[in-house]
Amino acid sequence: MPACNILVVSSWLGILASAQALDTVQAILAKHCQTCHNAKQKVADLDLTAPQQLPAVWTKVREKLSTGKMPPTGLAAPAKTEVASVLAWIDSLPNQPRVRAETGPGRVTARRLNRTEYNNTIRDLLGVHARPADDFPVDDSGYGFDNIGDVLTVSPMLMEKYVAAAKKVSRLAVYGDAYPAKPGVLTRLMARRSYDGGGLAGSSDYLPYSMRGALYGNYTFPVDAEYELRFRVMNLRDEERTAGSEGTRVRRPSLASLSPEERAARLRTIQQGLSADELKQSLEKARIAAPPLKLQLTVDGKTELTGVIEGTTTYGYDRGEFIARVPLKAGVHSFRASFPELAGIDDPRQHLNPDLRRKVFVDYLDVAGPFHPSAEPPASYRRLFVCGHARGQHQAACARKVVTDLARKAYRRPATSRETEGLERLEALVQKEGDSFEEAVRVALQAVLVSPQFLFRIERDPSPAEAARTVSDHELASRLSYFLWASMPDDELLRAADASTLRQPKVLEAQVRRMLADVRSRSLVDDFAEQWLQLRDLDRRRPAPERFPALDDELLDAMRRETHLFAETIFREDRSILDFLDAPFTYLNGILARHYGISGVKGEAFERVSLDGEQRSGVLTQGAILTVSSYPTRTSPVIRGKWVLENLLGTPPPPPPANVPVLEETKIGVSASLRQQLEQHRANPSCAVCHDQMDALGFALENYDAAGVWRTHDGKFAIDSAGVLPGGRSIAGSKELKQVLKERSDLFTRNVSEKLLTYALGRGLESYDGTVVDDIASQVSADHHKFSTLVLAIAKSKPFQMRSGVGGGEKP
Amino acid sequence: MTTAGKSLPRRAFLRGLGGAAVALPLLDAMIPAFARAATTAQAPCRMAFIYVPNGIVMDLWSPKTEGEIARLPEQLPKILEPLARHRADFMVMSGLTQNGARALGDGPGDHGRAGANYLTAVHPRKTFGKDIQTGVSVDQIAARQIGSQTKFASLELGCEQGIQGGNCDNGYSCAYSNSISWRTVSTPNPPEVRPRAVFERLFGTAEVEPDPARRARQQKYDKSILDLVLDDANRLKVTLGGADRRKLDEYLHAIGEIEARIHSAEHGKTPVTPAIGTMPSGIPADFVEHSHLMFDLMTLAFQTNTTRIATMMMALEQSNRPYREIGVPESHHGLTHHRGDPEKIAKVAAINRFHVEQLAYLLDKLKSTSDGDGCLLDHVMLVYGSGLADGNRHDHHNLPTLLAGGGCGGIRPAGRHIQYANETPMANLFTTMLDKMGVPVEGFGDSSGKLGYLNNLA
Repeated sequence: MPACNILVVSSWLGILASAQALDTVQAILAKHCQTCHNAKQKVADLDLTAPQQLPAVWTKVREKLSTGKMPPTGLAAPAKTEVASVLAWIDSLPNQPRVRAETGPGRVTARRLNRTEYNNTIRDLLGVHARPADDFPVDDSGYGFDNIGDVLTVSPMLMEKYVAAAKKVSRLAVYGDAYPAKPGVLTRLMARRSYDGGGLAGSSDYLPYSMRGALYGNYTFPVDAEYELRFRVMNLRDEERTAGSEGTRVRRPSLASLSPEERAARLRTIQQGLSADELKQSLEKARIAAPPLKLQLTVDGKTELTGVIEGTTTYGYDRGEFIARVPLKAGVHSFRASFPELAGIDDPRQHLNPDLRRKVFVDYLDVAGPFHPSAEPPASYRRLFVCGHARGQHQAACARKVVTDLARKAYRRPATSRETEGLERLEALVQKEGDSFEEAVRVALQAVLVSPQFLFRIERDPSPAEAARTVSDHELASRLSYFLWASMPDDELLRAADASTLRQPKVLEAQVRRMLADVRSRSLVDDFAEQWLQLRDLDRRRPAPERFPALDDELLDAMRRETHLFAETIFREDRSILDFLDAPFTYLNGILARHYGISGVKGEAFERVSLDGEQRSGVLTQGAILTVSSYPTRTSPVIRGKWVLENLLGTPPPPPPANVPVLEETKIGVSASLRQQLEQHRANPSCAVCHDQMDALGFALENYDAAGVWRTHDGKFAIDSAGVLPGGRSIAGSKELKQVLKERSDLFTRNVSEKLLTYALGRGLESYDGTVVDDIASQVSADHHKFSTLVLAIAKSKPFQMRSGVGGGEKP
Repeated sequence: MTTAGKSLPRRAFLRGLGGAAVALPLLDAMIPAFARAATTAQAPCRMAFIYVPNGIVMDLWSPKTEGEIARLPEQLPKILEPLARHRADFMVMSGLTQNGARALGDGPGDHGRAGANYLTAVHPRKTFGKDIQTGVSVDQIAARQIGSQTKFASLELGCEQGIQGGNCDNGYSCAYSNSISWRTVSTPNPPEVRPRAVFERLFGTAEVEPDPARRARQQKYDKSILDLVLDDANRLKVTLGGADRRKLDEYLHAIGEIEARIHSAEHGKTPVTPAIGTMPSGIPADFVEHSHLMFDLMTLAFQTNTTRIATMMMALEQSNRPYREIGVPESHHGLTHHRGDPEKIAKVAAINRFHVEQLAYLLDKLKSTSDGDGCLLDHVMLVYGSGLADGNRHDHHNLPTLLAGGGCGGIRPAGRHIQYANETPMANLFTTMLDKMGVPVEGFGDSSGKLGYLNNLA
């Protein structure tokens, strides 16, 4: 390895550093860096033996070394003094930015509300549960999150959707949802695969498919009223079927499975030959032909109906069975009609007939209503018409009051007089045209909802003289609410901003703790944790049905829910974030516990379960994570290793070189084990550099298959979960992997700090944010890695509290 | 396995439009225009781009002919066989290259580049963060010029939902593989994948205010609202700097387009809204059903002159979609890295052919829809192809490209196979098409001139 390179750099730059310092630096680089970053291997496109380097290269080297991201996990780390001398040398280079000196807070680009934020904001602004953003195009994401101001664009199509949503939402808020004057069936809800394979006109999207016959989902109810949930249960327990696909009827349906009319008709034709006794006997025979099975319907988790399925009879609500009448508020409610005992069967395929149709299942659920709808105006009405007058009793003076209050909430700051005057002019126009005061307010609301002040979170720039400024109290309130709730500030937060007390450390801390305790902070799970852990890829990466025939939508949902509940517990109970790596508990229901092979958990409800830490503990051994880091048909130690490096340690491997050959899928588990195939792949030294690390981390998880099930064999090959990290340390199994990760809790803490700061700010982090992240991470480490410490450290950090001017702090 | 959604009688609502007897609808503001429905003497020229991802098995795509220009052979290559009945209405173009999709020093990421480069002919910037950048796509260049003549400047359709996630292909943003249409260098036009959403966007929802006086008032309010927010936004814009201002520009452009649409509706340029029957509100699980619906909607949009420019992504670039309906349960992208395994190649070819079958459906549809003095297919330039040739090797030269339709500026594809010189920029095809469309441009992407052999080959 040419030893003169560093000298060339230095002489070229003509810097002050002593020859002795150079020798030291050069020796350290040779020992710790140049094995990979040399002219031949050029890992990450970096050759540290080259004679000249751009200043940006040293900036990057500095960042990787100072944060411990390099050398990679497993390789011997340089001594602290070694790191310090390299950093000092880099800092002495003339073209280096003064990274460690005073840095700017950075500049966040105006953030358009993303889909989640739009829905949440509409909900909190008006109390309307319409979720209009579900129809918007998917938001692009950057730096792993979908709330990055620079990446969120406005296409003409999105603008159309904004305009349409503003109309719809304003109507809902003022007049309430439209509903039929006479109660009737509002919708029929069916699972993705069902008895006759068909959907029905007017039904919304199909619901998840449950092999255990359950039907579950959400429905948005239009008005406060009573509703009937009516459902039909198909019972095919008597049918002996030859193997075929679901939906293929291979024989005439049994008498008992017919509707009353059909049965009456059939009976008429055969009655001549049957005596009343014989008929009775035949029905009794059907009743006892199969054991009774319990059934229940829950709405928002509360049991509303229970029943028993007997024998081989099909139950339709047309016979008066299975109708639950429930009073419900307008908005989204969840329901579940299911057979709780089936959560205990070992393999859901036991519940299938030979032709793959389910033996008993909820075929469809009709929502009927509204019965006795409330005559009260919708809750949103009271929120909007702040004068409190009843319909038809409004006073002209209220026009201003209503829009002033509305604009303050919608724009998240006091409205300017120009803004309120513009809205008042609209109101006046509408009334002049002869429409009502309510319509006038509706039109003003429609205008507010398409205003850039509502759709974007825009922060005032510092005056040209300032490089940076503290954001205003109202801007800070919005930063906090969109960080912790993915929604607008509530009244209390706005009041604190109005009073200019929000920045007082005690007030700020109290507000943050209040917000974390609020139910809306679930967005930290639904939005932050989901994206950080890549759970949103789960549907796209679901296991292939050919390979995992017992895995249905319901099980996939259960996996997702496990990780959600787990993350929520860490946040809500203010536990150590290191629990993500290894924690002695998780959440399971009977279905997921069967999948994992864990005994003692029954039923469909999730419960907290203690783990011994041997086979399972921490996110790495949760089904959702193991699945999302696999191919649909098999595990991939490479993807899993990469997942660990990227999402847990924050040290992603560089992209692979072009034209890399892929593995022979069909051979895996047949003519060669996955390990043998991968080792062949790694024979290429330029692949080996990164794969040694990724593969060893991933192999440690080989005892979990591509759907997260524990296994000891893959095909005919015994699982070998051992691997050797670069540098020679060998690890085997998930327990030792977790040990390695816990030893690098510094990297993990820094990584979570980086991710949450990125999410909180809505921008990618830049090199000048390095010291801020260091500082946040060290506060967290010093306080038992508590989650609230992390959140507070971010809320108090300079980039969260301040904003740079144009260009200020952007480029060093 | 049967799939829910299949049995919907959705065709009923679109079928009528091909013939003269159209089940016509009550309509919102545009009722006066109804009388002049779809037939005009001089039918306008339309353009459509249909994209398929992951390349094509070229041996089974390229016709074996001699010379620069030749008639298509009697026996079409296997992948093109479904087009046999249309052989007089398309041509296969060989030799076209998208140089900008190549690495050019940026390393791996051919799929991300292929998508973003396909219609822009600009090498996209390697990033998965904030600074995505490629070029303005050819459809959008045309849309800027002639888009104001129709209710919608352009229509973007797809059959696979875009991926939300930062890094889709070795450091290239998912935005690059999610969209082929780019309104600006940094603003993609993501395709809409839900048929009902497309329909409602084009023709409005069923909710129509029946009282004309009330309807007129509502329109007045809508206009005043736009005036108010435009005024606010313009005022706001001057106080902003840097990227904030760019965001406001996006907003202003988008709302300006809506204003123009309201304007053109008032002046009766928007003719008819077809009757809406039953359409699935979600995404049909069946690919044939889904793609046919999208093609029906594209035809309808052309026929009603709601737009003249459309793009359609049969799937996202680097799509992992399995095609179980034709016995291919494996991921499309995974299969294309076949390393010469004949079984996998056969499966990729089956997918390629399956896509072409859907194209044949679209051509049927365009042929059976009358337009001006002929049918729609007489007044459209339709490009079908991929930004990759061999998906296994990630080639960006000799791209599989097919031009169908005719009429525009004398184009007549007429059953030929044209072998252009190797490395002829794909952008040359696009600039030639823009010429024919009556919107000539200079210096689009890496274009180096115009393409020959497009006219009067009969």
